[in-house]
Amino acid sequence: MTQLMLHSLLPVLIVAFGIVLSLLLIAWRRSQKLILIFTITIFSVALLASFSLFVDLADAVQVTTLVKVDSYGLFAFMLVLVASIAVSVLSSMWLTHTTEVHDEFFVLLQLVVLGAGILVISDHYASLFLGFELLSIALVGLVGYSRDSEFSVETSFKYLVLSACASSFMLLGIAFIYSYSGSLSFSTEQLMFDNMSDLSILVRNYGHGDVLFYRVGFLLFMVGIAFKLSLAPFHLWTPDVYQGAPTPVTLLLATVSKIAIFIVLMKCWFSQAIFVDTKSSDENMLFLMSIFAIASMLIGNALALKQQNIKRLLAYSSIAHMGYLLIVLIVISPQSVALAWQSALFYLTAYVLASISIFMTVQLTQYHHNKSELNVDDWQGMFWQNPSLAVLIIVAILSLAGIPLTMGFIGKFYLLNVAVQAQQWWLISALIIGSGIGLFYYLRIIFVLFTIVNEKNIAKELIPVSLTLSPAVNFSVMIVIILSVLLGIFPDLLGNLLVTVN
Amino acid sequence: MIAIPLSHILILASILFVIGFIGVITRKNTLFILMSLEVMLNAVGVAFIGAGSAWQQADGQVMFILILTLAAAEVALGLALLIQMQRRFKSLDIDNLSKLKG
Repeated sequence: MTQLMLHSLLPVLIVAFGIVLSLLLIAWRRSQKLILIFTITIFSVALLASFSLFVDLADAVQVTTLVKVDSYGLFAFMLVLVASIAVSVLSSMWLTHTTEVHDEFFVLLQLVVLGAGILVISDHYASLFLGFELLSIALVGLVGYSRDSEFSVETSFKYLVLSACASSFMLLGIAFIYSYSGSLSFSTEQLMFDNMSDLSILVRNYGHGDVLFYRVGFLLFMVGIAFKLSLAPFHLWTPDVYQGAPTPVTLLLATVSKIAIFIVLMKCWFSQAIFVDTKSSDENMLFLMSIFAIASMLIGNALALKQQNIKRLLAYSSIAHMGYLLIVLIVISPQSVALAWQSALFYLTAYVLASISIFMTVQLTQYHHNKSELNVDDWQGMFWQNPSLAVLIIVAILSLAGIPLTMGFIGKFYLLNVAVQAQQWWLISALIIGSGIGLFYYLRIIFVLFTIVNEKNIAKELIPVSLTLSPAVNFSVMIVIILSVLLGIFPDLLGNLLVTVN
Repeated sequence: MIAIPLSHILILASILFVIGFIGVITRKNTLFILMSLEVMLNAVGVAFIGAGSAWQQADGQVMFILILTLAAAEVALGLALLIQMQRRFKSLDIDNLSKLKG
């Protein structure tokens, strides 16, 4: 363990150390404010550490066989940390309602971030498994955190059973892959395929049918990952869990867990050179990915159309977005791997910023209405009552819909670029049809914001939104708006940063 | 000693896994759902140990120990949820948990 290795692990070590310190802090004094400030400090320090590392790191650092730190992973971890700071701020608004002290919430939150941190740097199925489970088990606790809510048991039980099933599928897949390749590391599989003598030894010793097991193994592995990313055939849990979980936790599910798992999927996928190399490329696997992607885009967007509940709508829209993102995996030449990484990271940044803005508004208005279910109609006429929040939503929605001059548009442009290079016409048409359907429900929200509220069209028990924001909240709303617009108009600011790495 | 082919071990593990999975999707009692999940995880353990011994490596057994830890953590959470459920609905029937729809 050289100094360089320790240095490159620093962001994750900070978060891990932060968890121990938080436990000590809880033993010393139970105070909501203290633990909140402490958590945000830990995340900010880790963010600074990853940023300095991101700037300094010249080459990927392999730390033992388990972990490989590279700039792409570090950038993803920065996104994770930004999202988790937003989650901490949102949860401080939500947790003030009751008299209890909620230390555990923040410890669980830090555990989720640690799991995500391990996932984005993992280079081995064992570390993937550790990160994956750290993330999911802490998330189950968070999903059912508000015990008084009528849905808490249902939501967390659904999430627990389905996520445990998904991880068993993934583990069985890993076991099959291991039985074929003899190594749990991502990158050595390339070596196995180059050097077929290993395979022949295995076949001689243990009979035949191993390649079949490898194929089945990768399929099972994908089932586990697809569940976590809520891709189309495995998306059924998403709307229920999004709706039943507390809003900050929904933001966590939508951003942190998806980013981390998508990044680890990309690492695993690209290090298996068999899928990248044209000659030996496994058509079946590419076909499988296209099916996942196309089904997610179409089903996600189509089911979002009739949703009234905002969180359910966002759940379906996130299914569609993960479908779009899968396009970057369909890469046929090793040269375009760098482009695929840039596209994925840019798209994820746009998605994270938009999600933070929308969930922030959901939390603020939910607090105002003082009810757990928030429908699209509850935002009626918000533009006239509360312009800054409304602008925040409009920018975020336009970005999700992919309208020009927003980050979402540039992100979609990147994806189209990748798809055109790979000549995947079916994927491109699904992307276009999906975005077209998406416009319908995204624009409906914007229309609702501009509806003039008068006595006649106020539905029963509907209060027009006229909440007053504290200066701190107003300030953060402004920052998010400016950031989204700025990066939408000058995407090079981020694009160049991503190009210069590696 | 006769060496058992690796494919036989993997097929055994798959059969156990499918039994567990069928249990998860057909059982009505949540306690049995949790038990079936354990069967699934242990089936994976069999596959890992078989593959590890075929390759003469310790990796398979290391993974099995990690899986055991995971199973313990999951059961702890699951049982906590069962207690909540018993308090609220006075039964462990999974059909109580179907309020969220749309």
